[in-house]
Amino acid sequence: MINYWQRGVPVWQVRYLTVSFAGLSVVAVVGLALAALRMVSPLGPFSGMSDMYAWGVWKTFNVMTLTAFGSAGFSVGIATWVLGHQRLHAVMRTAILVSLLFYGTGLLALGVDVGRVWNFYNILFPWRWNTDSAMFEVALCMPLYAFLFLAFENVPYVLERIWATGGPVARRRIRAVEPFLRRIYPFMIAGAYVLPAMHQSSLGALLSLAGAKVHPLWQTPWLPVLYLIQAVVCGFAATIFALMTACLYWKRPIDVSILSELADLLSKTIFLWLGLRLADVAWRHELGAAVALDSYSVIFLAENVGLLVPALVFRSRRLRETPRVLYNMTTLAGLASLLYRFAPTTLAFRPGGPHDVYFPSVPELLIMCGWIALAIVGFSLAVKTFAILPAPIEAWDRLIAVARADHPEWRLDVHGNPTDD
Amino acid sequence: MRGVTRREMFGLAAAAGAGIVAGSPGTSAGANPPAAPREPVAMLYDTTRCTGCKACMPACAEANGLEPDTAMSGGIWQMPLDLNAQTKNVIKLWQSDDGSEWSFVKRQCMHCLDPACVSGCPFGALEKSPLDGVVGWEPSLCIGCRYCEVACPFDIPKFEWNKFNPKIVKCQFCDHRLADGLQPACTAACPVEAVIFGSRDALLADAHARIDAAPGKYFAERVYGEHDAGGTQVLYLSHVPFEDIGLPTLSTVSNPEYARKWPRRMYKWLWGPLAIYGLVAGVVQRRWQKHEREAHRLERETGLREQL
Repeated sequence: MINYWQRGVPVWQVRYLTVSFAGLSVVAVVGLALAALRMVSPLGPFSGMSDMYAWGVWKTFNVMTLTAFGSAGFSVGIATWVLGHQRLHAVMRTAILVSLLFYGTGLLALGVDVGRVWNFYNILFPWRWNTDSAMFEVALCMPLYAFLFLAFENVPYVLERIWATGGPVARRRIRAVEPFLRRIYPFMIAGAYVLPAMHQSSLGALLSLAGAKVHPLWQTPWLPVLYLIQAVVCGFAATIFALMTACLYWKRPIDVSILSELADLLSKTIFLWLGLRLADVAWRHELGAAVALDSYSVIFLAENVGLLVPALVFRSRRLRETPRVLYNMTTLAGLASLLYRFAPTTLAFRPGGPHDVYFPSVPELLIMCGWIALAIVGFSLAVKTFAILPAPIEAWDRLIAVARADHPEWRLDVHGNPTDD
Repeated sequence: MRGVTRREMFGLAAAAGAGIVAGSPGTSAGANPPAAPREPVAMLYDTTRCTGCKACMPACAEANGLEPDTAMSGGIWQMPLDLNAQTKNVIKLWQSDDGSEWSFVKRQCMHCLDPACVSGCPFGALEKSPLDGVVGWEPSLCIGCRYCEVACPFDIPKFEWNKFNPKIVKCQFCDHRLADGLQPACTAACPVEAVIFGSRDALLADAHARIDAAPGKYFAERVYGEHDAGGTQVLYLSHVPFEDIGLPTLSTVSNPEYARKWPRRMYKWLWGPLAIYGLVAGVVQRRWQKHEREAHRLERETGLREQL
């Protein structure tokens, strides 16, 4: 089968402002406005958090759950650059964009969540670091990854756009920095695979300290490893989901062969994770709790069955090459993963007595949804502006033909390269 | 040769950037569990002596400048239901379902020998004094992440949810009074010596003497806090089960000791991340060179520039 997706091509000849875009923008703006208000007000009125449930959805969902889906660039990057799945280069830009958006909004959420954000400058003084603290590891490693390594990975398509459409000065400058970027590129992306491995496992390690407050089905010495592998699972799922949703929405052709390769990797990672998860539960003699059919057991079963079914289905090449099955099963795996990452922080977190409950307040939920809407709006803007979403080569040729006709001042050749460069 | 040097340089830069220098000697990363404080102070509370007079509560509020929590009494007198952002010390009553058994219990920070809050605190705002072992809170280092609240097995630290400049509120053993040679306000106020102050060794000896003097009087014939959670500096004797008065059944190995074990091994001198980085960078570098050659070939053949 030919490799259909060959090149990133912007979503073009569509309007930026559509009804759904406007709707999401409103959600994002409401969230941002409330977040800004929270920054000059106490936390209490904005959240349902309490001293018993001191962490709400901003941390437990936007950060601890959604950055797992932000591991798209991590998962696809390792598959491509380390394991050598060459064809996945075509979806790399989509993956790193998804990563940047989930990490960026997650870190913004974290900034709004902490009560004394002005003291964060202490991170500049190594002698104040508590290197035993998983929270410190996350606080240092996650911004460093997002704003340095991940941002770096997202630079090429921005430069490419300016290079193709910018003036002679901009083109000269890009020409000048390009060799430097290429020289450090492999070392930077290697860093971009080590850092997520560190902080995605640290997110699991955060819960080690909570001890018996986390239900025994989730509390295990293997939590960091399970969280890390789950991040890889989520990364593959997020990549497939983002690609298929975008292609469906903007009516672009899909490449079943590449998607099937991603689904195959997703399935294999799920089997690795499930094996470890079940071995751990069995080893700790908690299988009884797993099938007790109380609320914890139901969550546990939902997670594992929700991952097992897609993993099994994706073993069949015919099924994983059927777009509808691929989409639905990826969604199911994503939801089950989401449940696993979220459960030990909230659903299976049992501090104090039975009367202590947590449910996010309305402003808390609005801010949470605001970050997610902001990420989707950012995705929409980015794929319409830059050559991110993969497409067949003909789409690129058509784009360049139109660009040459509409913008002769760019002086592009038939391949989209500036002729005066 | 240059390539190797550059690789090493990036490795070091990434290490310095990542900066997870766990295992550096002389800092927080020492023995697991950490060495005990040199002269640990302690409190011993005995449920059989407490009359529930609550004299310790206003004494605590006064000594620590806490505004009395009068919400439940309609603004008349101090009446907290539990520890909260205005209450560092509380006397509670426990009754069995049929009312036949009851006990008072005093709750405040346990000042663990290996505190989870200190182990989890990212910038060391919560710190255990190496001298007397008091767990204190330094406002200039606290980012308000509330990990201490999630980590504490006794649910002690409280957060000022309704303040713009929120503090972490918990008993600090009246360290300002200790510095003046005084004992904590609660032990000083107690009229019946239900809670007493002293060195940890002396109070443990005292507690064991009370157990030995009256067989059958105390639950399980043991001192809560001697080994629980790795040992605490607030000790309890109780005539009812510890669980009933809110003292959870915990391992003698502290949660931090368990949580630190593997991360410390993996991050010692950053060898784990650096080894993975070296491995990954090596593989990526080889693939990158191949990728570049292929990209140049394709550009010559098709005129299309590579998209990174």
